[in-house]
Amino acid sequence: MTRPRPGQPARRLRWLRRLGQVVHAGTALLAAGLIGLLALLAYVLVEFAEPSIRRFGFGFLSSSTWDGIHNVFGAWPQIGGTLITSALALLLAVPVALGSAIFLSEIAPSWLRSPVTYAVDLSAAIPSVVYGFWAYLVLVPLDAQTIEPGLSWLSGGRGPFSAPERFTGSDLFTASIVLAVMMLPTISALSREALRAVPRTQRESALSLGATRWEATRMSVLGPARSGILAGVILGLGRALGEAIAVTMVIGNIPILPGTVFSSGTTLASWLVTGFSETPPGLEQDALIELGVILLVVAILVNVLARLILARFRDREGEEPPRPLWRRRRRLRGPLLPTSASAPTATRVPTGSAFLRRRRARRAVLWAAIVVTAGCTVLVVLPLASVVATAAQLGGSAVLQPGFYSGTTPIGCNARAGVTCPVGGIGPEIQGSLVMLGLAALIAVPVGLLAGIYLSEYGRNRFGRTVSFVADVLTGVPTILLGVVVYVVFLMSYHDAAHSALSGGVALGLIMLPIVTRATEEALRTVPVALREAALALGFPRHRVTGRVVLGCARGALITGILLAGSRAIGDAAALLFTAGGSNFYLQNLTTPTASLPWFIFQNFNSPYLNLQTDAWGAVLVLLLIMLVVSIGARLAVRPVGDAAGAG
Amino acid sequence: MATKIETRELNAWYGRRQALYDVSLAIPEGEVTAVIGPSGCGKSTLLRCLNRLHEETPRARVSGEILLDGEDLMHLDPVAVRFRVGMVFQKPSPFPNMSVFENVAAGPRLLGVRGNDALDAAVLEALQLAGLWEEVADHLDDPGTSLSGGQQQRLCIARALAVHPEVLLMDEPCSALDPIATNKVEALIATLKARYTVVIVTHNLAQAVRVSDRTAFLYLGKVVEVDRTSQLFGSPREKLTENYVTGRFG
Repeated sequence: MTRPRPGQPARRLRWLRRLGQVVHAGTALLAAGLIGLLALLAYVLVEFAEPSIRRFGFGFLSSSTWDGIHNVFGAWPQIGGTLITSALALLLAVPVALGSAIFLSEIAPSWLRSPVTYAVDLSAAIPSVVYGFWAYLVLVPLDAQTIEPGLSWLSGGRGPFSAPERFTGSDLFTASIVLAVMMLPTISALSREALRAVPRTQRESALSLGATRWEATRMSVLGPARSGILAGVILGLGRALGEAIAVTMVIGNIPILPGTVFSSGTTLASWLVTGFSETPPGLEQDALIELGVILLVVAILVNVLARLILARFRDREGEEPPRPLWRRRRRLRGPLLPTSASAPTATRVPTGSAFLRRRRARRAVLWAAIVVTAGCTVLVVLPLASVVATAAQLGGSAVLQPGFYSGTTPIGCNARAGVTCPVGGIGPEIQGSLVMLGLAALIAVPVGLLAGIYLSEYGRNRFGRTVSFVADVLTGVPTILLGVVVYVVFLMSYHDAAHSALSGGVALGLIMLPIVTRATEEALRTVPVALREAALALGFPRHRVTGRVVLGCARGALITGILLAGSRAIGDAAALLFTAGGSNFYLQNLTTPTASLPWFIFQNFNSPYLNLQTDAWGAVLVLLLIMLVVSIGARLAVRPVGDAAGAG
Repeated sequence: MATKIETRELNAWYGRRQALYDVSLAIPEGEVTAVIGPSGCGKSTLLRCLNRLHEETPRARVSGEILLDGEDLMHLDPVAVRFRVGMVFQKPSPFPNMSVFENVAAGPRLLGVRGNDALDAAVLEALQLAGLWEEVADHLDDPGTSLSGGQQQRLCIARALAVHPEVLLMDEPCSALDPIATNKVEALIATLKARYTVVIVTHNLAQAVRVSDRTAFLYLGKVVEVDRTSQLFGSPREKLTENYVTGRFG
């Protein structure tokens, strides 16, 4: 036992107190580092975009020229493309996501709820490069051949849905669908949680009035959940605005704002992805970084908005209720009824055939609601099913070969009569991904844990709240911006390692850091205060209470947070494009360009060589498997410890 | 008095746990019946079976008969049953996104009452029945949740009364209220029994004595004894009942 006893020398007590101060100050410093990180992101981007900002001023936002030969740049096609695709994606995704949330929270029978909910949450974890690859192979042809001609015919061939010269499928419309597919699970999950947070008596009160399930949902559940749903929608929008990789793969990527959504265009993030790695330092690169500045501003605004709505939503629980949005002034007129209970009541309830007709109508509405929301739920999980089926079909043959996990990238080749293609593998990619994930964890886990400890144990003040707010905003910053900033900083400080496992690891670490921090904070907050007080009453110093008692109780949730952060990082392609670069060989040291699974998929998604495509699908399967293992592991990690905490 | 609701051999489960065992209970019309018993004995479950709310709980199951005016309500449309059998919950639960007026109007609207005059009349009547009219007449547009706890509970009673139910179920309606608010709700219950059949679940034995005509004592999911309230508290037939009402356990 290390706790001070009456007989212990005062020296030890002094030492313990000093240690407590060091822990407090140290964790506070790391927490402040998160604010510093956001400031650094903004500073680096603005600093590098400065020549472009000074040269073009606000005209940059409205000009449509992107001319690298005459050095004239304007971002309107990128901004417009981003706005159009995001808006269209929202339009497609919100009703479907909301319908599925209502189905899973209010309507579905309980045996159906948990597996489908799990599938929805799993689809939120699929990396964007996988969605992009899937969209390139499945959606693009489907759009080009069926959906787009049909829609343009329906719209009469005018306006934003008019027919282009040729339906290619690589256009704003397909990009919008991909974004919608990626937003669906996020919005669905967050809306579902908002609905679940409405107390059960609310529903039961409505049911007891004779409401159907659908009427009860409308009367008593949707209203209170409104702001939670809105926040979910805005967070989904944030994800869409900053999405780089998947959009790049299907949008065609030309710096033009077309008159129809069935033509190619680009977005801020996808233009940055395409242009940045091929552009030498100069005004064009500065202009590209200015796109990043716009992206960062938009991402911060959107995330701040969503977090503010959520924070208000959470604070308000159990406090002053919201004022109704639409207030109808009402004053009751008419004679007061005598208050004596024996007075006859005039029945105003419709009876007879009118009432029966109304009951039939209400039941029809209920069934319509069930069918529609169930259909929405099918639409939400359909992409996951299609992704898995496509990957299994096209990459299944690769992952079954034992050499696949150790071999290196083969020479591109199409099998013909008399030609056997070399069997390759993704050994370097697996190795590179794991090495960079390890580096990322080395940075993010200790820093994130300690910063999270500060937020939960010491940070019940304005500074602590600010840090958690900033961490939330950081999770919403497009990962491509993290990649750009890390690359630029390495260029200046450690030039030789700008494209290396080291810079890739740092970029992935920055993805993980805010997630680990917030997960730690939330996990520690769930440990009951009584437990802390019990330990304090035993004479434990504060930092030891945290170290021994609180961390122990929250162990499962901490592991879950780290696992989920890691799975976000290992699937991210955007952050690695500029940092790790890419390679076809095993890693020799940490300062050379490095292969990774997402990078490999992105490199080969449109490869003309069949064997490379098969290997890319194999890599998709490996990534999906990792996601599956992580999500199962995360579930297992939470359970037993949660029970133990409950028992203690 | 005629029997309004009757359960026959009613069994109820939550998953594998059985909450009610062969409960057979007749509830007479126009009276207040109290259901008492220690925590977890199945009082609330019994109440929730009477308007088929029990089955809304995941993995909940029911067997046996529940007769409403002699008709087995397990064969009726649950929505129609709940419109005839209203319920008030332990915690006041006004719809937070609706004003006082809209809370009370919610039920009539469901039933297809249209037009300002008809709705006004229905709301006015329900608020007066619940004895809340004088207190909220100037606050009809305020959110229902802005009232005090006792007012909120009476608002919920008014909301339930606005659809003219035949039976009103009350699940510990006063346990979240202060003594003064409790008094008002108890007084209200006394005025309600002229028109409604009331079933009230309560922890509070004194409350059962004050408000009810008949009392049923439940223990471990079984009905131990049902009788006139004065009889059950004055000279119980069962030893178990006597121990409970004299405070020797529970």
